[in-house]
Amino acid sequence: MSNPLKIIKTNPLHEDIKAYAVACRLSREEKVSSGELRGFAEELMNAISALCVQQGAKVLGHIKAYLVYETGFLHAHTLGEPGDVTVDGRDGDPANHFKLVINSVVYGLSEEAVKEATESALTNLISEFRFQRAP
Amino acid sequence: MKLVQVAGWLGSGKTTLVIALGKGLSKNGKKVAIVVNEIGAIPVDGRVVQEYGLTVHDIDGGCICCQVSGNMFRTIKAIYEGPRPDIVIIEPTGLAVPGSIRETIRAGAHEMDISMGPTIVLIDIPRAEKLLGYEGLKRLVTAQMVDADIIALSKVDMATEGKLLEAREAVCVVNPRAEIIHLSTSRGEGVAALIQAVTERRVEA
Repeated sequence: MSNPLKIIKTNPLHEDIKAYAVACRLSREEKVSSGELRGFAEELMNAISALCVQQGAKVLGHIKAYLVYETGFLHAHTLGEPGDVTVDGRDGDPANHFKLVINSVVYGLSEEAVKEATESALTNLISEFRFQRAP
Repeated sequence: MKLVQVAGWLGSGKTTLVIALGKGLSKNGKKVAIVVNEIGAIPVDGRVVQEYGLTVHDIDGGCICCQVSGNMFRTIKAIYEGPRPDIVIIEPTGLAVPGSIRETIRAGAHEMDISMGPTIVLIDIPRAEKLLGYEGLKRLVTAQMVDADIIALSKVDMATEGKLLEAREAVCVVNPRAEIIHLSTSRGEGVAALIQAVTERRVEA
């Protein structure tokens, strides 16, 4: 039960800035190379930012993610400007299992719309790359 | 133990600078800890900073300038009572107003032997015009600048001389007492000056 006396004050300057984050496990029977994983991360950043803009986002705070697997770690981010997606990190050996975390922060969209853009982009790319998703 | 803030709007280059400062200070023999607070429910930046071999303390659940200021204080106290590094770099969310964080620290500082280093606020020069075009964001970015001891004009390698000049003039109007540094972490420009400032400068607690 939540504490009725606890008041969480939010700075009024934070209005209209909404965030959504998701963590999941991805897997594929056929091993995924680091190059392919970099491509996935880049496409994911592009797809989320495009959907946010399409839904009416004024400014992307940031869209960022990391992918961690047995021998590698990649992180990606974009501010939604043309060609600004970066994917950095340590390339590992081809692998079957990955953990993915995405964090989207957007100015001018509802929380629901940020979630919708993030989840839609992720679902489409999971299908394109033939991944399986688990919580 | 000295506390330093690296603040600024989302995407302005805070995490990249924090990694550069952490590595540079460690190389100079300083013990460094990094406190990362993110607006999303699941942290990304803390994990990225950790990849560079730096000690990271994540604070989640909201912004440390308002919603979870108590969590920040408890984290600082735990670091003080535990590893007690020479320098703690605080990277708040891109929405945080640094003055509120400084006030929270000041309120409890008498319990600990800590000093305040400079508050560094980053301004993303290539995106500044766009951000300042929205009234809500303009108020927030301006509030961040007002609290700065040092304003780092970031990504200067991607800006024209004209844009830089305009930015300098605008920043001087908002906060005439702040030192202005041109920063391009990818090129290493401005990083040494900030390492020196973090090491040597103390501001009134």
